[in-house]
Amino acid sequence: MTSAAIETPQRVTARRRRPVTLVVGCVLAGLIVVVALLSLFWLPYSTSDLSGGRLAGPSAAHLLGTDKLGRDLLTQLMVGARIALEVGCGAVVLGGILGVAAGLAAGFATRWLDDTIAATLDILIAFPVLLLAMLLVAARGASLATAIVAIGLGSAAIVARLTRVLVKRILGQDYVTAARTSGTSWPRIVAEHVLPNIWPTLVVNLALQLGVAVLAEASLSYLGLGTPPPNESWGRMLQEAQATVLTAPLGAIAPGVLLIMLVVGVNLIADGLRDVADPTRRRSR
Amino acid sequence: MLHYLLRRVAFLIVTLFLATVVLFLLLRLLPGDPANSLLSVGATPQQIAAARHEIGTDRPLPQQFVTWLGQVATLNLGHSFVSTLPVGSQITSRLVVTVPLTLLAFALAIVISVPVGFLAAYKSRRWYGAVLGGVSQLGLAVPVFWLGMLLVVIFALKLRVSPSGGFPADDWANPGAALNDLVLPVLTIALVMSASLIRYVRSATLDVLDSDYLRTARALGSSFVSAMWRHGVRNASVPVVSILGIELATTFLGAVVVESVFSLPGLGSLLVQGISEHDYPVIQGVLLVSTFAVLVIGFLADLTQRLIDPRLRAPHPGAAR
Amino acid sequence: MNKKAVALFGAAMATVLALAACGTNANGGSSTGGTDTNATINVGSLYEPQNLDDTAGGGQGVTEALNGNVYESLFKLNDDGSVSNLLATGYQVSSDGLTYTIHLRTGVKFHSGKALTSADVKYSIQKVLAPNSQSARKSSFTAVKDITTPDDSTVVVTLTSRSISFVYNLSYVWIFNDQAKNLTTSEDGTGPYQVGTWKRGSTLTLKRFAGYWGTPATNAEVVFHYFTDATALNNALLTNAVDVVTSEQSPDALSQFTSNKNYKVNNGHSTTKLLLAFNDRVAPFNNTLVRKAITSAIDNKKLLQSIWGNYGTLIGSMVPPTDPWYEDLTNVNPYNVSLAKQELTQAGYPNGFTFTLDTPNYDPHPTAATFIKAELAKVGITVNINIITADQWYTKVYQNHDFVATMQEHVNDRDVVWYGDPTFYWGYNNPQVTEWVKQAEQSTTTAQQTALLKKVNEQIAKDAASDWLYLYPQIVVANTDLSGYPINGLNSQFYVYDIKKS
Repeated sequence: MTSAAIETPQRVTARRRRPVTLVVGCVLAGLIVVVALLSLFWLPYSTSDLSGGRLAGPSAAHLLGTDKLGRDLLTQLMVGARIALEVGCGAVVLGGILGVAAGLAAGFATRWLDDTIAATLDILIAFPVLLLAMLLVAARGASLATAIVAIGLGSAAIVARLTRVLVKRILGQDYVTAARTSGTSWPRIVAEHVLPNIWPTLVVNLALQLGVAVLAEASLSYLGLGTPPPNESWGRMLQEAQATVLTAPLGAIAPGVLLIMLVVGVNLIADGLRDVADPTRRRSR
Repeated sequence: MLHYLLRRVAFLIVTLFLATVVLFLLLRLLPGDPANSLLSVGATPQQIAAARHEIGTDRPLPQQFVTWLGQVATLNLGHSFVSTLPVGSQITSRLVVTVPLTLLAFALAIVISVPVGFLAAYKSRRWYGAVLGGVSQLGLAVPVFWLGMLLVVIFALKLRVSPSGGFPADDWANPGAALNDLVLPVLTIALVMSASLIRYVRSATLDVLDSDYLRTARALGSSFVSAMWRHGVRNASVPVVSILGIELATTFLGAVVVESVFSLPGLGSLLVQGISEHDYPVIQGVLLVSTFAVLVIGFLADLTQRLIDPRLRAPHPGAAR
Repeated sequence: MNKKAVALFGAAMATVLALAACGTNANGGSSTGGTDTNATINVGSLYEPQNLDDTAGGGQGVTEALNGNVYESLFKLNDDGSVSNLLATGYQVSSDGLTYTIHLRTGVKFHSGKALTSADVKYSIQKVLAPNSQSARKSSFTAVKDITTPDDSTVVVTLTSRSISFVYNLSYVWIFNDQAKNLTTSEDGTGPYQVGTWKRGSTLTLKRFAGYWGTPATNAEVVFHYFTDATALNNALLTNAVDVVTSEQSPDALSQFTSNKNYKVNNGHSTTKLLLAFNDRVAPFNNTLVRKAITSAIDNKKLLQSIWGNYGTLIGSMVPPTDPWYEDLTNVNPYNVSLAKQELTQAGYPNGFTFTLDTPNYDPHPTAATFIKAELAKVGITVNINIITADQWYTKVYQNHDFVATMQEHVNDRDVVWYGDPTFYWGYNNPQVTEWVKQAEQSTTTAQQTALLKKVNEQIAKDAASDWLYLYPQIVVANTDLSGYPINGLNSQFYVYDIKKS
């Protein structure tokens, strides 16, 4: 696979929509973040309150109705927001650290080692995060940590591949070659030349990875491999609501809408950041 | 070119061998006992030991490894621990579903995303250009299982125009019935795949529209269409082909969620079943075959790029690898 | 179903059911108009066979698809739990109860064409007892000492001790052709159907066997379609991709069928129990009072209602109403939060305690665990839910007994006898109960056996050996075009040979 594949999407939204993009993105994702933060201090009902009646429709007491155990749907959605962000951010932090480290290593490595790492990354990327998660769950059991590690490792491969290409490009610059031949140590080269040049692109990519991670968590939970009960994640809620989609559609729609809001928001922020980070990309045809 | 081909083939064989070793070791490192899949509540310790002996997991690891390696070398993937069916034939029966599913979805995604992506770039100042961009944003954020669920509710349960899932017992004996079962799954994958492809097509098109060579060609009197055709398409397709390769490879196994929603007996669900039963021969077989597929697809994508863009055929492709 | 009625008319009802089972009245649906004897019946199920041999770990699915349809036993287990002749025409027991002389039906052919002989029967019983047998029933046959075949149509089995359930247990032993090969992936039985094709992960096709010794099947072909998701299965029924669902597991979707004239929802008997199983060996659950307190603190009725709506039964102990030794024991440890608190205080846990509940990751366990956590919080007990896979359950809980409490469904009938085995995973150890279980098996009359097992049942309820949360309903949903399908799911059997499509 070539570097072009990773580079080009940066130009996607690089024009007129820029300010709008960032604002809309911040509003959408911000709403979810606020809800998640709020859930830490206040919830309409306790998560273990089963008093709402089985699959009750929306009412004044339960704005969005209840699930089959009688739990308030709004409460679960709020907790779900927290779980989505916890897993998403955790996975991106883990993926970022591992990915950048591996990418740097590959970038500085000899051609032989570099080829091997590149091929390994290509294969890893083709394997869905899901399978990694299944293997991990089979070994360690389903938990928040398992989900974070599985998704984090998945995004690490993508971040590593991007980092590797970026590092190669920087190292190919004349001034860096000069620094290397003059005997500057590689940690110094990394600190002085590589990181300052690659971080804007990395941050944008990590923001995109956050959206991917949130979706991955939902898929895992949908398949029963994500966060365990009683803390229902959106994916698990959707899975449970599947059976009642015709009789109580709200439960099957609300978590999906929130999920899309968060991911669209995060992606728009990534697009907006890209323009801020890299103004040369702005262009008028 | 010959040198390049030889190098790639050698690389493929070495990678496959390494993958075999890593797969074998990784699976054995994971806790879990394949014998458990055969047990029922009421099994005695003697029965558990007998189950382990039956499937051979009580033998020393090196011995198990040599057995497995010998099998792979003779293109025999062994037998499932649980069903005792040959792994090879099980994989073949799943490919009958997965390959058409992947290719059809892939083709549909290209048919959707290339014109839409081009239009979104070419008419990006018009309102519909922006709308197309927005729709693809939305497509990127939709969980694939949720989309599948909605399609089932709308087309299978409400409108009754399509089956809700499953695949004919006699596979492709009746191609119409088989295709009918694939419509919704193909649509689900294609829609999600298109969302990301549109973005790449759009950005590649924007790059071309901005390029100096296009401007030059236009200045020299070429019509827009002919300039686009002669220079634009070729240049824009190089990065897109690379992405297509990745998407195709990912879908091969990544269709597992869609297979689950639509109860399709594909390769992904075979792997999922294998993992949940700790059925090592099945897991090893599926992963080996899919690693092979990923490598071949990568190779084909690379080759296509070289055919499209002569610059990549230079002895040192530079940053490309 | 009406639990009280069963309790009152226990024996009478069993007789009625037995009689009814002979006709078609016990079966769901009603036959209207002409039926198509060449029809293909599409059956939807969540339980796929792991392989085709029930002595090699075929699992619940292989029983459902092949038992009685492809393979037959010497005796047939009826819906009411009684046993009638199938491949046997009768048997004699010696006065000491140790020798069984069984006479075989003549003219029976295997699907391969070979005639059934006593050698096949001997081979098949030995297959269950073999060292590599994974049969769930292996431990039922520990008393078998010797099997001889005086002639082609007679089998003599000698036992080391009396075994009143011996003939009953034989109804689980499939008769294989002793020359057959590859029984895990192909078959050679005597039943009304042959296995056509088996596409693991998708479908299993049964085709009517032309050389069947008995009444031929009323349909030409049965295709079992396997699903991993209950909703997908319901959708298949709604879109007519399948004609009948063997065991509905998504009650929330039932209203789609009850309100639709094209479907019939049948509520039958099941033997599947959901257990909150304590590890009775370790603190705090080695204390009977603590177990009783937990049993009283959980509102099983509300749990059942939450998960199954208006279906299912509360049992209060391990024995379902279809077993002869059933009694209504739901009031031994009634739902009573203040009683639970009192018992906890008495046991030395006035402020509750914390424990980990190992919960299998498939439905309904996570939902039920969530419910239990919320209920126990009311008496000050904190539950940590630990989600594990089936594989982990077998290693951690079943084999290593490394757990404090777990949840599991137990599908078989007559499995109360496990409380007589102190080495079983839940570690209930009451020498009196162990003795009763042993005596019951060695009883000379079924009345004696029934009386002893009733005592066992009462004792384990008194000791709250486990918390028997509820008995699953057995819900078969079918298209109204269909008739003659079985509606009871005892031991997950599903006879398909009487199904008619109009």
